[in-house]
Amino acid sequence: MRYIPNTKADKEEMLKEIGVSSFNDLLKDIPEEVMLKKTLDIPTLSEEELTEKIFKISKKNLGFRFFKPLIGAGAYRHFVPEAVKAVISREEFYTSYTPYQPEISQGNLQSMFEYQTHLSRLTGMDVIVPSIYDGASATAEATLMAIRLTHKNKVIISPLLHPHYAETVRTYTAPHQTEIHIAEYKNGLSDLKSIESAIDENTAAVIVQSPNFFGAIEDIESITRIAHKKGTLIIQVIAESLSLGLLKSPAEMDVDIIAGEAQSFGMDLNLGGPYNGYLGSKMKYIRQIPGRIAGETTDKNGRRGYVMTFRAREQDIRREKATSNICSNHALNIVAGNVYLSLLGKNGIKKIAELNIKAAHYLRTKLIETGKFSGFKYPFFNEFVLEVKDKEKIKDQLINNGFIPPFDLGIYYPELEGHMLFAVTEILTKKELDFVVNLLER
Amino acid sequence: MKLIYEKSKKGRHGFSLPEDQFKEINLKDCIPQYAKEEKEKELPEVSEVEVIRHFTKLSKLNYGVDDGLYPLGSCTMKYNPKVNEKLATIDSFVYAHPFADEKYIQGSLQIMYELGELLSKITAMDKFSLMPAAGAHGELTGVLMIRKYFEDRGEKRHKMLIPDSAHGTNPASSAMAGFKVVEVKSNERGGVDINELERLMDEDTAGLMLTNPNTVGLFDENILKIAKIVHSKGGLLYYDGANLNALLGIVRPGDIGFDVLHLNLHKTFSTPHGGGGPGAGVVGAKSHLVEFLPSPIVCTDDGKYFFEYPKKTIGRVRAFYANFPVLVKAYAWILSVGGEGLREVSEASIINANYILDKLKKYYRPAYDRICMHECVLTGREYKEYGVKTLDIAKRLMDYGFHPPTIYFPHFEPYAEETIMVEPTESESKETLDEFINAMIKIAKEAKTKPELLKGAPHNTPVGRLDEVKAVREPKLHA
Repeated sequence: MRYIPNTKADKEEMLKEIGVSSFNDLLKDIPEEVMLKKTLDIPTLSEEELTEKIFKISKKNLGFRFFKPLIGAGAYRHFVPEAVKAVISREEFYTSYTPYQPEISQGNLQSMFEYQTHLSRLTGMDVIVPSIYDGASATAEATLMAIRLTHKNKVIISPLLHPHYAETVRTYTAPHQTEIHIAEYKNGLSDLKSIESAIDENTAAVIVQSPNFFGAIEDIESITRIAHKKGTLIIQVIAESLSLGLLKSPAEMDVDIIAGEAQSFGMDLNLGGPYNGYLGSKMKYIRQIPGRIAGETTDKNGRRGYVMTFRAREQDIRREKATSNICSNHALNIVAGNVYLSLLGKNGIKKIAELNIKAAHYLRTKLIETGKFSGFKYPFFNEFVLEVKDKEKIKDQLINNGFIPPFDLGIYYPELEGHMLFAVTEILTKKELDFVVNLLER
Repeated sequence: MKLIYEKSKKGRHGFSLPEDQFKEINLKDCIPQYAKEEKEKELPEVSEVEVIRHFTKLSKLNYGVDDGLYPLGSCTMKYNPKVNEKLATIDSFVYAHPFADEKYIQGSLQIMYELGELLSKITAMDKFSLMPAAGAHGELTGVLMIRKYFEDRGEKRHKMLIPDSAHGTNPASSAMAGFKVVEVKSNERGGVDINELERLMDEDTAGLMLTNPNTVGLFDENILKIAKIVHSKGGLLYYDGANLNALLGIVRPGDIGFDVLHLNLHKTFSTPHGGGGPGAGVVGAKSHLVEFLPSPIVCTDDGKYFFEYPKKTIGRVRAFYANFPVLVKAYAWILSVGGEGLREVSEASIINANYILDKLKKYYRPAYDRICMHECVLTGREYKEYGVKTLDIAKRLMDYGFHPPTIYFPHFEPYAEETIMVEPTESESKETLDEFINAMIKIAKEAKTKPELLKGAPHNTPVGRLDEVKAVREPKLHA
C-alpha cells in the first residue's frame, strides 16, 4: 500500500529483531475470542477510481460555485483571495501539530499572536482566544466562563441570538442546571425592558448578538449599562465579524466577554464548517477564559519568540479543574484569518464592510419600492427581514435564476411564517441585485 | 522575525475590492448613532507580495509531517495524502451553503452517510454523529449522552471513573458534563487495577472512560472483565478512540463491550492536524444510545439522504453539521486503504513501535517492559543523576532534525515518570526509525558525557528555549 513504506521483508526483519516469530505474537494481550476473524468488507480504490467516485458524488450537489447566495444566517459567502488558500496549503501549516514545542513552531505561534492582534484591534478586547471551534461553541464556552466568574447560574439570552448558538448553549449548560431565560424582541431588536426585568441576583450574564440573527445592529451600549447597573456580565456575540470593520467595538461599549465567528475572514462555506470561533475578554478575566493563547517572550539570548501562555487553565495540566476540555480547535483557520486581514489592512476592512452594508441597503430599498414586500425597519448591517407573499414561489424563482434563496425564518420563528432573512455581501453586483428585484417584482 | 505589523507602510494593501456601485446609498443613514465607530481599526498595511513572503517565511519556522518523523505519542502524526486535500476542495462541496435545501446537498449528505457506515463497520457501533469538531468535543458529546441516558431512565449517577493514565481531556470533559471524576489506579502490568475498579464501580457511577490501547501503549488484557464489572453495575463503557490506530481490522471496540465512543479523524483516519485543528471527533453509539446522539444525524431512505433529529437528543454541540472537508478526507482515506489495508496500517504501526521499544529500552527504561501496541512509553529517569531532564532530551532531539515525542505524559506514580511517549505510526520506514534510534542513543551518551549540551539545547532552531514564566508575568498577548 502506497502510504506504508515498509515491505513484507522489512516487517519480517523487524519482527526478528524484536525477537518474535510472527506479528500475532505482538497481540497477546487481546483476548482471542474477540479478534476479528475476517477482513473488513471495505473495497480498496486506486487514486483514479477514488477521484472519479468522489467527483461523481459531488455532482449530486447543486453547482454552488455559480449560484450566488441571498442567504447568510450565520454562514456568509464572501470573496476569499487565492493568497489565503495558497498559504494554508503549505504543508508547514497544515501538516504540523499543536505548537507544544515552540522552538520549531514559531510559524504557528507568531501567526496566532498576529491574529490575536488583528482581532484585538477590531474588537478592542485585551485578551483574545483566537480559536474555539465555532461561533456556537464559543458562545457556550463564554456562558460557562461567566457562570464561573460570577458563581451565579442564570443567563438571559436575547431571542435574536443565532438559534444554533442558543441550542448549543442549552446543551453545554444542561448538566449544570443553569436557568436560561429567553428575553423578548420588538421590531427586530432585543427588547431592553424584557432584559432588564429578567435580571435578578442570580444572573451571571446577558447574552446578546449584534448584528443579531435578523441582521439588526443592537444598542449594545444601553444593554451593557443595564447589565452592569444590576451587577451582571454582558456577553456580545458577533456572528458576522466583518461588521467590526465599521461598527463600534465591543470594548468601547464596555462589553465584558465576546464570542465571535470569524468565518467571514477568508473561510469558505463548506456546508457549515470548519469555521473560526473566537473569544475575547477584559484582562481581569483571563484566568477563567478557555482555549489557547499565544504570548510574546524571549529566549536566553534575548531573541523575541512566542509561546502558548497562561497554560495553567488547560486540560492537560489541570485535568478536571481546567476551564474547559478544549485542546484541538480550528487552528489552521487562524492562519487563514490572519492572511485575510493582513491583505485587507486598515482601509480594506472598512471598505469591504461598507460595500456589504451599502449593497444590503440598496436591495432592501429597491425591494420595498416594488410594493410587494414589507418588513421590520431597524438599523442593519448586511442582513434584513422582509415579509413575502409567496415564499415557495420566490425560492423557485431565485434558484432557477442562479441565486440561493434567503433563509426561511418561519423555521425558527413560527410567528414570522412568511418572513425571509436576506443577506447581501460584496460578491453580489448591482446588476445582479437589480435582476433580483426585477425577478421578484413579477 | 518581524511581525506583519512591523512591515506596514501607509497606503499599501493586498486586496482587490469591487468598485462601489452604490453611491446613492449614504453610509451615514445606515449606521445608528449608538454604533458609530470613531476610531480607526489599525490593521497592518501591506501588499499581497509582502503578505505572501511574510507567511512563507513564517511557515519555514514550523515543522510538519511532510518534513519528517513526528513521533508524538497518542497524536498519530501520520502522512496526510495529497489526493484527499484535492477532493475536499471540490467546488460544489466548498461553496455549499449549510442552509441550502437538502435536495441541493445530496452529494455532501451521501458522503456523510457513507462515512458513518464505514466507521460503523470498522468499530462495530450502530450509528455515528459526525458533528463534533475535535476529540475533546466528541468526549463531551459522548459523556453528555451517557448523562442523558441515565436521566431518561430516572437514575441519578453522578460519578465517572477515569484511569490515572487517561488523557487530561477525559476528566475535563466529564467535569463539563457535570460528573464527579473518580480516578482509577493502574496496576503493575499497565492496565486498569481490576480490584480497584470493582471497589469503585457502584450504582452512583455512570461508567468508565477508557482509552484502549491506553496511553502507555498497552491493550488492556482485562478488557472483557472490565466491561463485565461496569455493565454488571448498570454502568456504561466509553471508548476514547485516540489510539484506534492500533486496532484497525484487528479488534473492534463495539465487540469488546464499549457502548459509546469518539474517534479522532485527524489521528487514525489521516486528516491533517493543521497546527492544532480543524479535525473531527465523530461519535459512535450502540443501539441503546443512538436516540441520544446530537442532532441532526444523516439518514437515508429510497436513495435520498436527509437530516434526522434523534428523539431524545442531547441537542446541538455546534452550529450546522460538521467539519465537512475533514469528513471527505477521512472517507477518501478509508476507501484508498480498504479492508485489507486497514489491518496493514495497524500491523505496520505496531511493528514500528515495538522496534523502537526494543532498540531503545536499554537506554531509556520503559514505563512497562512489555510488548506494546502502536506506541511505546520510555522514560528519561536514568539521566536525572547527570542533571539531565527528559525535557532536555526532547529539546536535543530537535538538533538532530526530529520533532520530539510527547514528554511528561502519561504521568502517574510509580510507573510513569519522566515519560517519553513515542508513536511512529505506519508512515515511517525502517530507515527513518533507525535514524531516530541512533539519534536517541547518541543523546543518551551525551547525557552522561556532555550534559551541558542537552541543557542548552536546542542549538540549531530559529529560537532557543523560550521563557514561559516571563510570558505569564509580563503578559504581552498582542502587538
